[in-house]
Amino acid sequence: MRERQNKERQEETTQIIIFKLGEEEFGVDILQVREIEKLDQGITRVPKAPPFVEGVINLRGEIIPIVDLRVRFGLTLPELGLNSRVIIVEVGEALVGMLVDAVVEVLRIPVSAIEPPPPITKGVDSYYLAGVAKLDERLIVLLNLERTLSPEEEKELSEAELE
Amino acid sequence: MDVSQYLNVFMDECQEHLQSLNQSLLALEQDPENTEILNSIFRAAHTLKGASATMGFNKMSNVTHAMEDVLSLLRQHELTVNAEIVNALFEALDLLEVLAQGITEGREEDIEIAGIIQNLQKFSTKEAMATETEQTSERRRNLQLRYLPAEIEQIKKAAEEGFNQYHLHIYLQEDCLLKGARAFMILRELEAHGEIIRTIPSAKELEDERFDTDFIIGISSKKPLEFLVRFLEKMLDVEKVEGEALAADDLLVERRGGTTKAATNEATPQKGASTKPPSNVSPTVRVDIRKLDDLMNLVGELVITRSRLEQLSSEQGDQILEETVEQLTRLTMDLRDQVLKTRMVPVDHVFSRFPRLVRDLTKETGKEVQLQISGAETELDRTVIDEIVDPLVHIIRNSIDHGIEAPEVRTAAGKSLPGVVELKAYQAGNNVVIEIVDDGAGVNREKVKARALERGIVSVDDLENMDDEEIMNLIFLPGFSTSDKVTDISGRGVGMDVVKTQISNLGGVVELASEEGKGTKFTIRLPLTLAIIQTLIVQLGNEVFAIPSTLIDQTISVAQKDIKYVRNREVTLYRGELIPLIRLQEYLGVEEAKNSSLEELDVVVVSNGERRIGFVVDTLVRQQDVVIKSLGAYLGSIPGIAGATILGDGKIALILDLRSVA
Repeated sequence: MRERQNKERQEETTQIIIFKLGEEEFGVDILQVREIEKLDQGITRVPKAPPFVEGVINLRGEIIPIVDLRVRFGLTLPELGLNSRVIIVEVGEALVGMLVDAVVEVLRIPVSAIEPPPPITKGVDSYYLAGVAKLDERLIVLLNLERTLSPEEEKELSEAELE
Repeated sequence: MDVSQYLNVFMDECQEHLQSLNQSLLALEQDPENTEILNSIFRAAHTLKGASATMGFNKMSNVTHAMEDVLSLLRQHELTVNAEIVNALFEALDLLEVLAQGITEGREEDIEIAGIIQNLQKFSTKEAMATETEQTSERRRNLQLRYLPAEIEQIKKAAEEGFNQYHLHIYLQEDCLLKGARAFMILRELEAHGEIIRTIPSAKELEDERFDTDFIIGISSKKPLEFLVRFLEKMLDVEKVEGEALAADDLLVERRGGTTKAATNEATPQKGASTKPPSNVSPTVRVDIRKLDDLMNLVGELVITRSRLEQLSSEQGDQILEETVEQLTRLTMDLRDQVLKTRMVPVDHVFSRFPRLVRDLTKETGKEVQLQISGAETELDRTVIDEIVDPLVHIIRNSIDHGIEAPEVRTAAGKSLPGVVELKAYQAGNNVVIEIVDDGAGVNREKVKARALERGIVSVDDLENMDDEEIMNLIFLPGFSTSDKVTDISGRGVGMDVVKTQISNLGGVVELASEEGKGTKFTIRLPLTLAIIQTLIVQLGNEVFAIPSTLIDQTISVAQKDIKYVRNREVTLYRGELIPLIRLQEYLGVEEAKNSSLEELDVVVVSNGERRIGFVVDTLVRQQDVVIKSLGAYLGSIPGIAGATILGDGKIALILDLRSVA
């Protein structure tokens, strides 16, 4: 029974945009991505915004908040470089820009290759992850955008309680 | 029929009719003999009945129908206007408002209407006499002769030549056969004695037998009325004839949408905004407010792009380019002003509902109050208008409930009766100011203090350090209410703090001034529009921020040596009072601000109603009109930040709401 379901699912595929934070590869579902922008303007800092919100940018007249995923995940990584991009994603009704070090490619992967995430993957807590995709030699970490970008810092709060 | 697409239009019209009904009814109460007012009430009720029936809102059409019955008896002088009837009509109006609300919320069906209808029918059936069924009264109403203006002119001319205008109401026998032919015969016979101007139903309908048993003929004749009546009564199948002679001025005029009396002074509209039934001056178009919002946004974009172009062209130094950009600037500004204007609505929209409010309040409290309105033509942005209703209602209720004294108290104090509540609106620069002034008892400071203590809002120590103004402003704090008795009027302590918040949310401020025994004055300052605001751009380190001009009292320059310290906090002297100084970089977390090393500090003094605070910045850059943009759903509301705007160079500046800091 279970085997048959797995076989059927092998036909199903999903498209993922692969980007880099440092040397690690992450992925987001293409259906949630509005567009990808070069960061050719300064980011305007917003006082009193959550710490992982880098600021806001002007996207053709619209004000878009920018989230730095490295701060979000507590990763220490080098400064932004030439390949840095902003991936504009839709979360609920809001548009949010995610700051990444580079956008690599768009991949079509079989749904069956996606597995539930282990507790910690590449230094990122599984709370923020939708799963991991194993493709030949590569391991791509798929983000749960709703949780990753949630302004309420549930994760941080729960961690604080543990400490 | 699918009517959903017309619902918005219907609701808009419905609100207009309700408002005009309210105004006219108030006017009728003051002037019960005025048939013109009565007619306008009848017209509005009639139109509303038709519209609601078309839309399938039966409850609303039933209520208006019952109102119409009473009104038509009033018009026919079978009833006279008295307080009881006016009250019943007001109650019906309130019910209509509830129904309208119910329709928008989709729960019209649950609303009880039988009580109000019975109440109205009491008048219409008692006076309409037992013999006359409701149907006949309806028929009578429908059988009212109306004339075209040209016909009336003709009748007037004929009158000069000795012709009289008669209305002949002819009842045929119930068993009359070939009614159509009989009616035709009657018309032909009558033509020998005068000129038939109009019939109800029309001659064609009479011939086709499309009438019950009676009809009316309007005839211009030199013969006496008696003669014509007798002449007709002698004819076959005629049961009875009622005749009436009319003066040309008493004739009803037929119009699209209704009738009105052909008063000779019709060309000169009455003055006096509060009692005048609304009249359409020029043709208008109804536009969805969202379309105007979109338009406003586009103009905002244009303004931004224009300033960017301006910046670029000044860098280029090309004179022709600069001139073209200058022209573009002028056009953009004109366009912006026009778009702003389309969104503007006279405050009369709001003010016109207050005479009714005051009337009801005076009845409830037994106080004598006169409401004086001025500046109702002052215009405000539509979005602001909608939001300003509740705060104003609250303040007016407050003025009548707490301010104006009972008549015997006023007489004892040697004050005039009735008490006066003044509602004033005027434009002052980029602001609209609304004042609510009463000549009542004023704010009783001792009572305020006692209540504040009782409610635990302040401590005894706090009170001792407060000046008069601060004490008065305690009434704006949450959970405060000074009325000895809790009444339905001012609610239960959900009063002035809500007013203050609502006005703040509109970017406005409210101020209070009061002299005990003399009266109280509330002053509300509102921005003309919410979309574009005038700001002062300031710089701190490498960052620029925009401060709304409405918040700014003044900008001053303070020498380092003029900074004093109170409890280790920086203060300075401003207009004779010590005001706290706040280094804006500390509040906003700006690094590299350089004002701590300056000898002369640029300070923006922000006024939050009664309190003033100086914010120290690095540089005052310039004044600029900016388009407010929201930071978006993701960031939500951040304290101290009202939004953002895009400057000419494409950079973003945050708009600061410094009142929440103060």
